[in-house]
Amino acid sequence: MAEPQAPQIPQNAQGISDLAKRWAWPARPALLGTSVKRLDGPDKVTGRAKYTFDVNRPGMIYGRMVRSPYPHARIVSIDLSDAQKAPGVKAALPLKEVGAEVMYQGDPVAAVASDTEERARDAARLIKVQYEVLPQVALMDRAIATDAPQVFTGGNTRGGQAQENGDLDAGFKQASHVIEQTYSTHVITHVCMETHGAVCEWEGNKLTVWSSTQGVFGIAQQMAQAIGIPQTDIRVITQYMGGGFGSKTQVGSEGITCAKLAKAAGVPVKLMLDRKEEHLDTGNRPSATARIKAGVSADGRLTAFDGESWGTGGAGAGANFPLPYIYDFPSRRRTHKDVYTNTGQQRPMRAPGHPQGSFLTEILMDELADSVNMDPVQFRIKNSPPLAPNAMWRSYFDEAAKLFGWDKRHPTSDRTAGPIKTGFGCAANQWGGGGRGGSARCEITPDGAVAIKAGTQDIGTGTRTIVAMVAAETLGLPVGAVTPMIGDTMYPACGASGGSTTAASVMPAIRLAAGQALDALCAKVAPALAVDASTLVASNGRIQVRNNPSKGMAWKDACRLLGTEMIAMDAPWQNGLSSTGTSGVQFAEVSVDVETGIVKVKRVLVMQDCGLLVDKLTAESQCYGGVIGSLNFALYEDRILDRNTGQMVNPNMEWYLLAGMSDIPQIEVHIKQQPERGVIGIGEPPTVSTAAAIACAVRNATGATIRRLPLTPQTVLEALSAAQKEGGTR
Amino acid sequence: MKPKDDNSKKEETFNVTRRDFLKSASVGSLVTAVASVAEVEAQTQGPQVIGPGEVPVQLNVNGKRIDLRIEPRVTLLDALRMRADLTGNKRGCDRGACGACTMIVDGRTVYSCSTLAIEVQGKKIRTVDGLADGSKLHPVQQAFCDADALMCGFCTPGFVMATVGFLERYPTATQEQLRKGLDGNICRCGTFNRVFEAAMKAKGVSRG
Repeated sequence: MAEPQAPQIPQNAQGISDLAKRWAWPARPALLGTSVKRLDGPDKVTGRAKYTFDVNRPGMIYGRMVRSPYPHARIVSIDLSDAQKAPGVKAALPLKEVGAEVMYQGDPVAAVASDTEERARDAARLIKVQYEVLPQVALMDRAIATDAPQVFTGGNTRGGQAQENGDLDAGFKQASHVIEQTYSTHVITHVCMETHGAVCEWEGNKLTVWSSTQGVFGIAQQMAQAIGIPQTDIRVITQYMGGGFGSKTQVGSEGITCAKLAKAAGVPVKLMLDRKEEHLDTGNRPSATARIKAGVSADGRLTAFDGESWGTGGAGAGANFPLPYIYDFPSRRRTHKDVYTNTGQQRPMRAPGHPQGSFLTEILMDELADSVNMDPVQFRIKNSPPLAPNAMWRSYFDEAAKLFGWDKRHPTSDRTAGPIKTGFGCAANQWGGGGRGGSARCEITPDGAVAIKAGTQDIGTGTRTIVAMVAAETLGLPVGAVTPMIGDTMYPACGASGGSTTAASVMPAIRLAAGQALDALCAKVAPALAVDASTLVASNGRIQVRNNPSKGMAWKDACRLLGTEMIAMDAPWQNGLSSTGTSGVQFAEVSVDVETGIVKVKRVLVMQDCGLLVDKLTAESQCYGGVIGSLNFALYEDRILDRNTGQMVNPNMEWYLLAGMSDIPQIEVHIKQQPERGVIGIGEPPTVSTAAAIACAVRNATGATIRRLPLTPQTVLEALSAAQKEGGTR
Repeated sequence: MKPKDDNSKKEETFNVTRRDFLKSASVGSLVTAVASVAEVEAQTQGPQVIGPGEVPVQLNVNGKRIDLRIEPRVTLLDALRMRADLTGNKRGCDRGACGACTMIVDGRTVYSCSTLAIEVQGKKIRTVDGLADGSKLHPVQQAFCDADALMCGFCTPGFVMATVGFLERYPTATQEQLRKGLDGNICRCGTFNRVFEAAMKAKGVSRG
């Protein structure tokens, strides 16, 4: 790893406080950017880590929800009486009023709590709900039709305003080639390994919630609103959570129901969703379709983009996405509409909108490149925005292509004999990241112990570890000397962990809290050493005079000077230690069996920046995970709805296909350092471009252009057959 | 997701995971297989009816005896998670597809969400909770930590147990065999590459 460049004060030096300047990130960090093993790894591999699903409280009973089997219906009656009499039942509640409509399969209708989970399921089956089934439009293509039943009054589509830049007519006149095609991606669900849910326990009017969430403070706020008690009377705890990917920032009907059941039953209630409920009612990634007309000049410059797009985010949620993605079209027009369907509402899913925009644009880019006989990488470099710290594509494409061995790419369509064809593809990504508004407390006690308290949470990215790393870096201590305490609304407030914002919003606060705590400690040490406090630094477990290690004392001795007083310093996030905007590229090699249509991804190369790297090891894991998530999106997973009933036919984990160990490619990760930009974040960007890179590689392998995901064997075979009918002209 | 090459035929027949089974079996053979399992059980169990109320169940878990009174329908996973506070192994899909519940019963890995507790009385049950030797991690656990073979960690206990179970049965497995042996577990965070790395590292590391 190259020595990081001197970071110091970030670019936008205005508005940076003296404190943030004083505690700018170190030029030669001891820990930041190194590979530090996850501090909670041992707890996770031994099963000691307690997830919400694992919380068993004294006297706790189990909640279970009853949900509509119909995508659209009116509630005629809800009869709880048999359920209330069932063995072990302590509470039963209606969740919809008579006469209300259910808008999607899985819409909650009633709930029950019983002493065992099995009995709660029995009791739920005894709840009698009468429905008046209403006409449904679960499928988007049907919802768009003018004669379709209405999901809501006012039609099934919203939006439709055109956004236009540049002279479109002139752009198309400059084009030597024009591509006009329709591209689309499908709906997928988050499939968090730990389903959504909560354990709720009341003590008088105070409520404690163990929630599987990406944002403890958000849950407290939403729960307060829903239940009607002050937010300060609610404590939310998330020590460990089993994946969220954007779907776990909402308290959800299951969380509110859990609290209500616990209140009604007078004992703690655990309500964790089952896998089917998880698919139906905890969010999904909206679909995206676009009819695109795009032009390119004879010398390989993009000239014009005209796109009309739509997608469905379910019953009443939007489905917008960036289009065209990244590349410079001097003139462009885009019209988008959201299509409402009788399906569960979408929620943000890892890089919301970007994987869709990326796929739609990158396939088009390869078609345009071929139309003017240009290499796809050179074509992308030529049409990428100018180099900037948050727009490094020109440089990354060039460098990554060399590392990948792009020169071995054959022109579109592998002419090798036999059924196995191989191909290369590439794609770009961008993401904002950044974030602000976190806060943290640093406590140093006279025995030398250090704790960082911050009301953030670890959604699997390794937050606990980087919290400790930043404090340890600042205090000159080993990582193990800092106890990170997170996942609790008793700690200083932080935002939800979504949109790659946790590192950038929380690490600056920790840096400043620890920095001020160190200043307070140095103020105690200075008189004892008879030096000015400003000459003291913390390094290698000692407080010592800068450049004079012999004049100083060990950390523990320094802390002993505190006597009976501990140091507790709070700090909010401040400008100057973080920034926003990342870029990256990915390359993929696939093999396609043209007899079976099976696509196998052989290797993926990731080149990604994220500002100042905190923990190299866990940042790499984010890249591995992003690639595999996107590979699932490209090849396997798909929320399949029955075309007649509108019900999901694969609400499980065997027919909702996800990659297993044998499906995983070799993945090579190159993280580009930009320490001068401060912390940014890396959760979303690695999952943006893999699907597009895979699809481009399939096109390169087979010569068949597949303009929709997922690339199932059937889709691939159909495309190959269509390409053959066209006489091999692609 | 293509059928795997079975390099192991010369050694010993592999455990067929439910995932593999579902991938390869046609619907027709699935029905046949289920029926034959039911027949076998009917023959071995005889006419005795147990339940539907609670019955005493005695389990040998991680070398300790656990006495429970549970309904016969309670799965091994739920019995331990909800009645014995052994929450290390997780419930992901609750129907034998994701592997988060993987335990080792008499030396074979099982999906404990699809195994009834009453069926494994008298058998040696190992869960992730009992794998470490006090504060000393099992070599597989240590390898997972070293390689960062976990993110959210919810699938991790199942993956650890699947790895331990596989390596105990096939200590000299090839890379391809190991890959196939771990195909019964799903990780949504996408830790597979590092899980594989950890499993390869742990291979051949003896305990203690």
